[in-house]
Amino acid sequence: MKHLLASGAVGVGLLIGSSTMASAQSCEISIGSVLSITGSMAAIGSAIGDAGKLAVDHFNEAGGVNDCSVKYILRDDQGSPNVGVDAAKTLVEIEKVPVLLGAIQSGVSLPILTSVTVPAKVTQISCCSSAPSFTTLAAEGGTQGYWFRTLPTDRPQAAVLAKIAAERGYKKIAIIHVNSDYGVSLAGRFKQDIEKLGVTVTNMVAYNQEQASYRAEVNAALQGEPEALFLVAFPADGATVTREWISFGGPQKFVFSNALRADEFVESVGAEYLADAFGIDNAQVEGESVDAFNKAWEAAFGSAPNGPGLHTMYDAAAVALLAMEQAGEATGTAIRDNIRKITSGDGEVIYPGVEGFKKAKQLISEGKAIRYVGATGPLEFDQNGDVTGPYLIWGVKDGELVTLDKWDNQRVSAAIGEIDN
Amino acid sequence: MLQALADGILSGSIIALGAIGLTLTMGILRFANFAHAELVTWGAYMALAVLGLTGAFLGPIAPFSFGIPLIFATLVAAVLTSLLALAIDWLVYRPLRQHTNHLTIVFGSFGVSLLVRMVILLIFGGAAQYYSRTLQIAVPVLPGMRILPDQLFTLGITAIIVVGLHFFLQKTRLGLAMRALAENPELARVNGLDTRVVVRWTWVIGASLATVAGVLYGLTVQLRPEIGFHLILPLFAAVILGGVGNVFGAVIGGLIVGLAESFAVLIVPAGYKMAVPFIILLAVLYLRPTGIFAGSVGGAK
Repeated sequence: MKHLLASGAVGVGLLIGSSTMASAQSCEISIGSVLSITGSMAAIGSAIGDAGKLAVDHFNEAGGVNDCSVKYILRDDQGSPNVGVDAAKTLVEIEKVPVLLGAIQSGVSLPILTSVTVPAKVTQISCCSSAPSFTTLAAEGGTQGYWFRTLPTDRPQAAVLAKIAAERGYKKIAIIHVNSDYGVSLAGRFKQDIEKLGVTVTNMVAYNQEQASYRAEVNAALQGEPEALFLVAFPADGATVTREWISFGGPQKFVFSNALRADEFVESVGAEYLADAFGIDNAQVEGESVDAFNKAWEAAFGSAPNGPGLHTMYDAAAVALLAMEQAGEATGTAIRDNIRKITSGDGEVIYPGVEGFKKAKQLISEGKAIRYVGATGPLEFDQNGDVTGPYLIWGVKDGELVTLDKWDNQRVSAAIGEIDN
Repeated sequence: MLQALADGILSGSIIALGAIGLTLTMGILRFANFAHAELVTWGAYMALAVLGLTGAFLGPIAPFSFGIPLIFATLVAAVLTSLLALAIDWLVYRPLRQHTNHLTIVFGSFGVSLLVRMVILLIFGGAAQYYSRTLQIAVPVLPGMRILPDQLFTLGITAIIVVGLHFFLQKTRLGLAMRALAENPELARVNGLDTRVVVRWTWVIGASLATVAGVLYGLTVQLRPEIGFHLILPLFAAVILGGVGNVFGAVIGGLIVGLAESFAVLIVPAGYKMAVPFIILLAVLYLRPTGIFAGSVGGAK
């Protein structure tokens, strides 16, 4: 244990040390990050920290921001809001960071946002907090525009699924969803959206995870003779629900949430029952910009970037740094006002990595427009700081998961627009 | 409404099978064996393992989703589960019975249950498994009521086992000995009853019934390492409801718990149905601590 602690301390020392050593320039800009390095999210937290560090290293190698080297300061929130707020306060008040990356959990990000970053006019960009409450807060003006996240929320997912379900001609649909923040919010959104498109939701049933049987839930959902089922679930429980739905005579027409796009799920249910099913997932897992990040990650760490939050964290750091470069100054407000300039429009496309950042710096210095297409593909922040990514529609054919359709940003925005008006 | 009735009776009959074994061991060995539910899991997984070895020869017997191999696998699994129960008794409970008080054995059983579950997790992994991947489609029996053929089989086998066990306890010498030991251990011993033999057979019967319950559960629902963990509360509720040591009480208790769970969904959201056995348990403990049928405490009748 002592040894472990010691090596951990050396590791952190190196982490901070290496970014300081890169400072050949005279000035230095600090950016802060609050993540869960220990606590319940520890398994993913430190790799996410590395992803942020990688973006900063790439930028420093490309010459730094406004000819200043960037110092990346990572603080642990231990998965707790109190610790997270303290860490954020230290970063903002003592280190004077203009931008704060984090946190992972929505429950930590929210108090940091309302009690630290917004009052101090510091931009906050989260890689991983997906709760819908941020969108509400932003729409009410509570974030003053200082809040961004690089992870798509459930808003576009619900809209796209509702649109397709309505187009398929379903008139009555039942919803079964996992009883978590994710499930409740996606199911609720979907219900709102699909009812606007004239489809009746016969029943909305929540289920608790890790149960052996969901017969009661399925029976409740079968009341009112729905023509199809919208299921928000994770693969194992989702398979149980789907099997019981089919067993008890439910129509074999399904709308599936993103988490069900897994071979395990198709295999457990049986592909022959899923011919009429479709689901959604983020489509931003391929493309040149994604490959650029994946290669850079492999070069730095010797393994593929498999894990949640790595791509989104890299992009969170990258857009913050590019916005600083674009603004020519390192203040929270300047970053806030420039993030959309470097991610939207018709500017020259910039990919992740040292070369990409060099090119971006060159173009900005020449006064030309750039558009960053990141590790998660194209990023476009709406007025609430949320991104709408492209989506793919998947189905099952010949026992395999296949892509049925692709929705790019415009199509997604059009669908949301149609539903909202 | 009808569907809830059918579902309740079916899940109740599986609870009943597990509860019979629990009520016997509780009545005769006189401690709350929290590891009993893990015997259900163990039995179910042993049958899966045997099925994996023998393969699906002969194919399923219509209209059921299983055939001779599963029945054979269940018998082998019952033997393996009995061996596990005897081994646990010999290694853990026997030394504890001799030296320490009642509570220590109960805590010991907690430890054993965790151990068994983790061993299953280690060998078979945590993902859900099935005896057969083919999906059975439920048959409409009455308007608004659908039943799987496998569920009817479950109901039938439960009825046969309950009746058989009743005759065993009433008519055979061993059954009499078991009842005697449950009623008054000192008197039974004074009369020259070999308690070790009776205890051994109690374990074998309890473990075998647990195996059958586990296999039926796996057949109508699915196999997961947490089967036992999720069944533990309904099992205890059923046993206490029926009165500890009362075989018929355990069956009725199991049916009541199953029905209560499935009818509860009509009133409260489905996510909260797990709380129903708790409420029944508390209500019975408060109103009739000896169970609804019990005349005396701790008698196998």
